[in-house]
Amino acid sequence: MSLELLHRRMVVGMSLVALMAFAGGAGFEPLSTILAGTALCLAFFWQPDHDLSLRLEQFWLLSAAILVIRSLYHVFLVGDDVVIPVVDVLLLLLSAEALRSLEAPNDARLYSLTFALLLASTAYRPGILFALAFVSYVALATVALTVGHLQRITPAGREIALDRSFLFAMAGLSGVALLMSGIVFVAFPRFSQGWASRGEVLATSIAGFADEVSIGNHGSRIFPNPEIVFRVEFPDGQPSNMGGLHWRGRSYDRFDGVRWSRSPALPPSLGMDRWYAAWQPDRIRQKIYAAPLDVRVLFALHPLLEVQSDNPRVQPLLDNSGDHIYWGPGSPSYEAVSVDGRPDSEALRAATSGFAPARNHFTQLPRLSQQAVDLARSLTQGLDNNYDRAVAIESFFHSEFGYTLDLPRSAREATLEHFLFDRREGHCEYFSTAMVVLLRTLGVHAREVNGFLGGQWNEFGQYLAVTQNEAHSWVEVWFPGYGWVAFDPTPAGAGTSEAITSWLWPGRFLLDGLQHQWNKWILDYDQESQSGLIRRASEIFSRDQFTSQDSKPIARDPAVIFWGALMILALGLSLYWSNKRPSGGPETRLYLRLRESCCRSGLVPGEGVTPLTLVNELARRGHPAHRPAQRLVRMYLRSRFGGHALDDTDQEEMKTALSAVQRALRSEGRPSASSTPS
Amino acid sequence: MNVLESVAALPAELLAEPLAILRASWRRLRAWRRIRFTVGGAVFTAGAFATGFAAVNTGNNLLYLLLGAMLGFIALSGWLSEQALRGLEVRRRTPQGVTVGKTFRISYHVTSRKRRIPTLAVHLLESGLPGAAFIARLDPGESVTVRSENHFIRRGIYPLETLTLSTAFPFGLFTKKRDIPLTGELVIWPRADRSVALPTPPGGRNMPRYSDANGATLGARGEFRGLREYRAGDDPRDVHWRSTARTGQPMVREYDQDSAETLWICLDTRDEPGDHAEGAVETAASLAARAYHDGRRFALVTPSGQVDSGMGSAQLERLLDVLARVDFQQSGPRLSPPADPARCVLVSMSGSGRSSYGAYVPAGRWADDSTSEDAVGQESLAG
Repeated sequence: MSLELLHRRMVVGMSLVALMAFAGGAGFEPLSTILAGTALCLAFFWQPDHDLSLRLEQFWLLSAAILVIRSLYHVFLVGDDVVIPVVDVLLLLLSAEALRSLEAPNDARLYSLTFALLLASTAYRPGILFALAFVSYVALATVALTVGHLQRITPAGREIALDRSFLFAMAGLSGVALLMSGIVFVAFPRFSQGWASRGEVLATSIAGFADEVSIGNHGSRIFPNPEIVFRVEFPDGQPSNMGGLHWRGRSYDRFDGVRWSRSPALPPSLGMDRWYAAWQPDRIRQKIYAAPLDVRVLFALHPLLEVQSDNPRVQPLLDNSGDHIYWGPGSPSYEAVSVDGRPDSEALRAATSGFAPARNHFTQLPRLSQQAVDLARSLTQGLDNNYDRAVAIESFFHSEFGYTLDLPRSAREATLEHFLFDRREGHCEYFSTAMVVLLRTLGVHAREVNGFLGGQWNEFGQYLAVTQNEAHSWVEVWFPGYGWVAFDPTPAGAGTSEAITSWLWPGRFLLDGLQHQWNKWILDYDQESQSGLIRRASEIFSRDQFTSQDSKPIARDPAVIFWGALMILALGLSLYWSNKRPSGGPETRLYLRLRESCCRSGLVPGEGVTPLTLVNELARRGHPAHRPAQRLVRMYLRSRFGGHALDDTDQEEMKTALSAVQRALRSEGRPSASSTPS
Repeated sequence: MNVLESVAALPAELLAEPLAILRASWRRLRAWRRIRFTVGGAVFTAGAFATGFAAVNTGNNLLYLLLGAMLGFIALSGWLSEQALRGLEVRRRTPQGVTVGKTFRISYHVTSRKRRIPTLAVHLLESGLPGAAFIARLDPGESVTVRSENHFIRRGIYPLETLTLSTAFPFGLFTKKRDIPLTGELVIWPRADRSVALPTPPGGRNMPRYSDANGATLGARGEFRGLREYRAGDDPRDVHWRSTARTGQPMVREYDQDSAETLWICLDTRDEPGDHAEGAVETAASLAARAYHDGRRFALVTPSGQVDSGMGSAQLERLLDVLARVDFQQSGPRLSPPADPARCVLVSMSGSGRSSYGAYVPAGRWADDSTSEDAVGQESLAG
């Protein structure tokens, strides 16, 4: 392959990975991506001659003019995003340059265009595919720039022979560029306040957190949805009961019999911070990384005492009902501190009087049958405090009802009464709605809360992934002096098996873990992350780390062991390979390959074979490999011992002879016993 | 020197040595490596700065990755170019004589003392010469011979001081140069292919005619004059073996007729240097070349040196060497030929003193020059 063709293919490879990086970040724009990808794949295998290349220019110019007009229209008249139409023009130019003749001196343009495409992809929030594309781009660029330079610098009529080992070595040296990339990334001080990428427009839509939520859906079934809503790390250690963690989202105070809604003029209803702080002394810290959602809710464990956003553009807010929401662009990532546990049962029993939320928002009832009212009274007969009443109703549902994701078959069956007295099974919204309604008939302040329950622990990433499968509803009951206390009437353990299987395949954990690490350490890497790294690095090298009883010794850190083992393996392999590789010039290496091929075919013994012995043996057998082997051996002896310097033509001839020998050996196969001379 | 002047001279004296050290250090540093941006390298570096600027301003972490990769390429470029220039042993072979206007080649035998890394795309340049030799690829432990082509437009002695190894490998972003002190010189001979005509000497005297006999026959060459050291081009049959064995150096017999039949070329250098002076030198060289081609003995006399009578290619080379070094000065010494001036050919610009010489050839006028008045009807040396 000529240097020009090799160079062109390398640059086309760069273009393809840059396109992959862009498509992975900005989203898959089918038409332009497919067209550009097709043109680039074509350029990999075919290059027009000079005349055809000139004729194609007319076509490219016309297409570029059309795209530029389209871009201007989108930007100035439609007011659309400017990057996508500009990238379309970029892709067209890239395809045009890639499909020029090999003689065209367009190296600089090709480099610039591929780099511009890679640069454009950084404007979005690309996933881990960008990492793969970036590494590939750097490796290909190392080889392409080298080959391009050699091609330009070599005088006409001369050729520089580049073998595969050289090209692979150059690709391997791209590790230096990648290492420098990592060092600059980690160490370069972060001055800016952060970057809101263009990827935020692709927000995940989640049901159950809008201003109105209906429980009257009917039909077939609620299907599992493994899409991740947020990921949670626990800096203080993994909690013991992760399956029971209730991630509070939004509360609803008004129920009209079918749907829950939020009263527009709700007075402050959260309660005092000091009430919640007094529940238990223990705290649980959560670092939450949420995907962009269409509802701006900050999920956390209840009661939430503190929330601090990592992204300065995202502002946490508290609404009157005590729900934590946020304002601002970007994916919310924040640290939350919640109370670990709930108040003592006796304390809640004693909480019979005190401040209560105003205006009966949380005792509002829809039109209800007397049967439901009687049920509430019968369940709580003889109980003199709200805590016992709530527990009684909760236990009633746990013991008497079943859980199912199957929806009611009709609107009539979707009513609360049908659930309570006929169907006696349903999903979490029915349970929570029923409990709230029953409590309210007794005059207890209660409300419905929507959020998530539990999650999937990702061992690889050491975080809890909360998916839409874990969407859940439960109840909050007001206790004077303590605030809102959560109760969950949904029977325990329901739905979890379906949630696990809906992760589809174990590899998704690994990929998601990688994606999370990518988001955390690359996309969201900031000043605080940098300081944390420096702190950790100084801790590693400080004495206390080795003497502390609590901290894990470095030598037992799985990550250290893994990477250390990998480095030792790589070093060992490279040493083994360099020792195995025969010393000597190219003629020696080619002869040794000839000998090895003949030994593998069983024609000559492994050791102690001289070149002439090998050739004579082939001749004696009348093997078709005899003549090319003779040519190769003659050139080898002349070069090695006769002082005749091996030039490029000689090398090529030796390689051709070797290939001929190998072909002949393959076609003849191993010699049979009958061919052995007596 | 008064007190003020002494005081003023003090700083200069005090600073002389540190300045000399600084200059020497700078020369050494400069000779170590010199790096220069190529156009592509300047654009690439500017692009790296722009990427860094954008990264700092936007806080886009991925731009830091790109910036780091670009800086990595720059670092890799510096390291690999250094590896390409290291470990190379160069031996230069210059041609013995180079003629003005003719392309000549300088050969470089380059050996790589490296163990692993090949050398690719390295240029070898002589200081001041435009043509460079090019090493396409040199594997570790291997040797290669490469050549550069150049030509000179003026005769003289061209000193070769440093050989510069230059490479832009691997990416063509920067050109790195390394100077190797490799002294030598090139002797640029004047042109000797001019077609000169030997005019009829004034007074009707004829120049000694030359027969086709090469004068090598013993006895036909006159009385035995003595022994002298062998010079390249001498007839091996003239070697006196007994003297050679005794002295340990080849000795040859010399005869009277040898010097009698010699064409003595006397070049008068008393004039301003310039094109006419060069014309005189070329005339003298061409006369000698004609004698050589005719198988004649010839010699050269200049105010600064002379070449004794001899024949053959070695004699011509010796003569051309001297002519390469000849300098013209208005007030230079006069010619004093060792032979009878009547047997000498004077080559001069002014023609002063021509009457005492056997023949006079004006400088810069050649037989193929249609504008030359003396070119018509002149007798050539060939007889």
